[in-house]
Amino acid sequence: MKPFIGRGTALALGVLVSLGVAGAEAADKPYQGMTLNLASQNDQFAAVLAAVAPEFEAQTGAKVNVDILSYPELLTKITADYVGHTKGYDLATVDIVWSGQFAEAGYTVDLADWIKRDAAEIKVDDIYPSLMASLGGYHGKQVAFPFAGYANVLAYRKDLYEAAGLKPPTTMEEFVADAVKLTDKSKKIYGFVANGQKGPAVAQDWMQYNRQFGGSILDKDGKPALNSPANIASVTAYKKLFDEAAPPGAADYDWGGREESFRQGLVANMQTWSIGAADYDNPKVSKIAGKAGIMLTPSAKGQPQEYGIGGWALGINKDIDPKKQEAAWAFIKWVTSPAVHKELNMRGAGSYLRKSEMTDPELLAKYPFLPVIATSFEHGDGDFRPRIPQYPELQDLIGGAINAVLVGQADPKTAMDGIQAKAEALFK
Amino acid sequence: MSVVSREGGASADDSAARSTGWSYDRKRQLFLAAMATPALLYVLAIAVGPMVQGFLYSFDSYNLIRPGSRHFVGLDNYIALWRDPTARQALINTFVFTFGAVTLEFVLGLGIALLLWRDDWFNRVALGLLLIPATVTPLVVGLVFKALLNPEYGLLGYPLAELGLSGPRGLLAEPQRALATLIAIDAWEWTPLMALILLAGLKSLRTDILEAASVDGATGPQRLQHIILPLLLPAAFLALILRMMDAFRVFDIIFVTTSGGPADATNTLMIYGVKQGLEFFNIGAASAVSTVIVVCILVMAAAFIGVLKPAKNRNA
Amino acid sequence: MPDSSRLSLIARRLAISAVLVVALAPVVWLFSIAYKPVSDIFASPPTFLFSPTSDNFQSVFRYFNLGALIESSLIIAIGSTALSLLIGAPAGYALARAESPRAIWLAYFFLVIRTVPAIATLIPFYLLMRDIGLLGTWWAVIILNTALNSAFVVWMMFSFFRASPVSIEEAALIDGCSDFGAFIRVALPSVVPGLIASAIFCVMFSWNDFLYAMFLTKADTKTISVALLSAYGTKDISWGTLGALAHFSTLPIVAMMILLNRYFVQGLTQGVH
Repeated sequence: MKPFIGRGTALALGVLVSLGVAGAEAADKPYQGMTLNLASQNDQFAAVLAAVAPEFEAQTGAKVNVDILSYPELLTKITADYVGHTKGYDLATVDIVWSGQFAEAGYTVDLADWIKRDAAEIKVDDIYPSLMASLGGYHGKQVAFPFAGYANVLAYRKDLYEAAGLKPPTTMEEFVADAVKLTDKSKKIYGFVANGQKGPAVAQDWMQYNRQFGGSILDKDGKPALNSPANIASVTAYKKLFDEAAPPGAADYDWGGREESFRQGLVANMQTWSIGAADYDNPKVSKIAGKAGIMLTPSAKGQPQEYGIGGWALGINKDIDPKKQEAAWAFIKWVTSPAVHKELNMRGAGSYLRKSEMTDPELLAKYPFLPVIATSFEHGDGDFRPRIPQYPELQDLIGGAINAVLVGQADPKTAMDGIQAKAEALFK
Repeated sequence: MSVVSREGGASADDSAARSTGWSYDRKRQLFLAAMATPALLYVLAIAVGPMVQGFLYSFDSYNLIRPGSRHFVGLDNYIALWRDPTARQALINTFVFTFGAVTLEFVLGLGIALLLWRDDWFNRVALGLLLIPATVTPLVVGLVFKALLNPEYGLLGYPLAELGLSGPRGLLAEPQRALATLIAIDAWEWTPLMALILLAGLKSLRTDILEAASVDGATGPQRLQHIILPLLLPAAFLALILRMMDAFRVFDIIFVTTSGGPADATNTLMIYGVKQGLEFFNIGAASAVSTVIVVCILVMAAAFIGVLKPAKNRNA
Repeated sequence: MPDSSRLSLIARRLAISAVLVVALAPVVWLFSIAYKPVSDIFASPPTFLFSPTSDNFQSVFRYFNLGALIESSLIIAIGSTALSLLIGAPAGYALARAESPRAIWLAYFFLVIRTVPAIATLIPFYLLMRDIGLLGTWWAVIILNTALNSAFVVWMMFSFFRASPVSIEEAALIDGCSDFGAFIRVALPSVVPGLIASAIFCVMFSWNDFLYAMFLTKADTKTISVALLSAYGTKDISWGTLGALAHFSTLPIVAMMILLNRYFVQGLTQGVH
């Protein structure tokens, strides 16, 4: 088999080998000369990761190249990398929903044993169990290590609620009612916004909405139940909410568009990932600085108080050689260590992980809504989007169907019936 | 050796050269063959080779993520495509987009070329500036128009929505008009190129024929229809066939604006195929889609050449 | 010739100006957002006024290795264009001079090759590049781009050479010039505008391609068009960064177009007789 590594990497490896042969060198630069390539999603943490990487190099000698990619690009490139065994990326940010697929295919190193071994160093107990379980955990394996936890929170306009004499909602029923009440189309104020764009955008938001009403995509055997009466009712209600209370362009919104509409002051309520929360008070990007509040998302009456969580984990490419895997693991431990991780968040990464972070005075001063996120993590539900191997195709089907309903191209029952058959085929 | 008449016109020298002997011919033939061979081999190896391989993949159920489950399935991938309403809609959309875009670009391009026909400083500068849209990366063009057409904050979308010219969700979110909007965006980007090729054709027209026609009393529109257009056929042919092949494979602008939505209204064969191949790594299905694309383009091109070439030769 | 009365001249120039406004306004907007603070880009309702900022450019320099991106784009564009001209021009010449229906069919074959959709070739090519160790290098993209570009060059040069009169060449041949010499010294110089036009097409195709480049390059060899997609992202569009980055991806091509448009037009004029 021909080696395909570039000259630079070959040189680095050569240096490494000779170092190894020479015996243990200085303990403080164990990975001198090594380069690690990290594929990162283009979220808030990406820039911060790139900024702190040099500190890791200073400590261990390993240079970490952070390559910032968009979501489709990220998934395509790392999947191609794993499937083609091209070892282009040593580390990658792994989305919560890819856990099942990665576990089944064996793309990344199973970190379960290393976590047990280094538990004290990592301070495992300080990490929220819900995050450890969902970000990279799957049926006993840990295919990636949690790194950036997001909570689904409710961002709302304190001023609009006050003006209308309403209190922020505590149940989903109230949420829907408030949304309609707060909508004033003549003033271009809308009570609700969510992703409507075909594909992952609308799929995620609807699945979250569905879950808050107690619905589920899969039945208790883990098989798709997309056209269950509850799901169809949920889609119908979602459409109604869009029609009555959402900005007209919402049917085409993805995360960026949704956030933008909130920051521009068009919307009174938005369920969103906590990572965007810091921006609402930043006058450089937001027109509603000081007017936004963050609170826990409501659930329907009688449903358990659970909060959607999501986020990213760091996975190690299984194809790379053991020494590099070790260096990659060292990086993961370093970047998720209490001190460094706090630093990431102080710099605006918005990616939470540890209980200690949520009560840290400096972080709290900067981001007063942390307790909301903390509670969300404590009762976190990372499975409102099933993290199974068939997830990408399932998401695509759901995304297509819901969008079709939102734009009036199909009615809920037909749409969901249509994809149920296709979904079942995925599980054969 | 058969001789095909060339537009350049044969000269006495041609036959003189050809009659210098058999060995000259053969030597020249070998020389020409040698000149053409590198390109031919290269293209066969790099472009055709993988395509043939891909074609063979289309008969397998082959997913790169689960390579162990690869097995021969004959025509199943194609049958599945035919049965899938999403794929059928994508096929229709692709044809609609292609013909719509090419027609619009041709008509507008011709108009612009006629406006720029006269050679003066104003027109030369205008032409240079006019080519700028064609130089912007298609990806970026898509993003720009996506922002501009947004009904809440787009410089185009907001007025359109306010005036009721577009639905409240914006043009790109309306299933009936999204494809037409994309055709318009494509026209924005490529009409200048079309205009350029047609203008080049106009400039190469022999002025004596045109002057003779005006002297004979033909009016502007008559001149256009009976003299200019027919003589413009070679340029038009080139422009149309180029655009047709590219429009059929449109991807970038649709990918970033609507991703095939809303509800499959702008789904095209390329978007569908890329999703199968690069998102789900379903090589079998993706290869079937790409084979369909190639076959469609070949059929269109053949029909096109078949119809226009005799006309072109007739008018030379 | 179009009639030259004063009124129709003014009318024509007005029409052209209107077309220019439509053509250039979106481009101007694209460049303008690079200077706008992010909150103003998406003001609703939209505004034209803003106080300029250099934040977006700073973002670009901070998050992207701009020098490397441009280097990659340049190397790939120039590499594939040079190679394509090198193998394409002689082939176009050969097909034009061969005078047989087979040659004309071959020319059409080359034209149609360009239509091969990326998905058809991408995965097999990806695997091939991996096997021979070129995956992630500029060569992988250059090799693939050249295949498509050279096919186009063959077709273009075929048209141009057909338009170029044979007589001078034949005279040179009779005078004892070798076949190759006649090609280099007589035929090529007569189609220089055509070569330039072909080169421009090749450069544009390679520079703006993102599907092949995205798939075949690594972090340190990726091109600016791939980076544009990253600037866009999904969860948080940073339009300001996009506008700033678009400066670097668009301006070189615009400059090339403006400088060479004379040859481009001239070239095409010759080729579409």
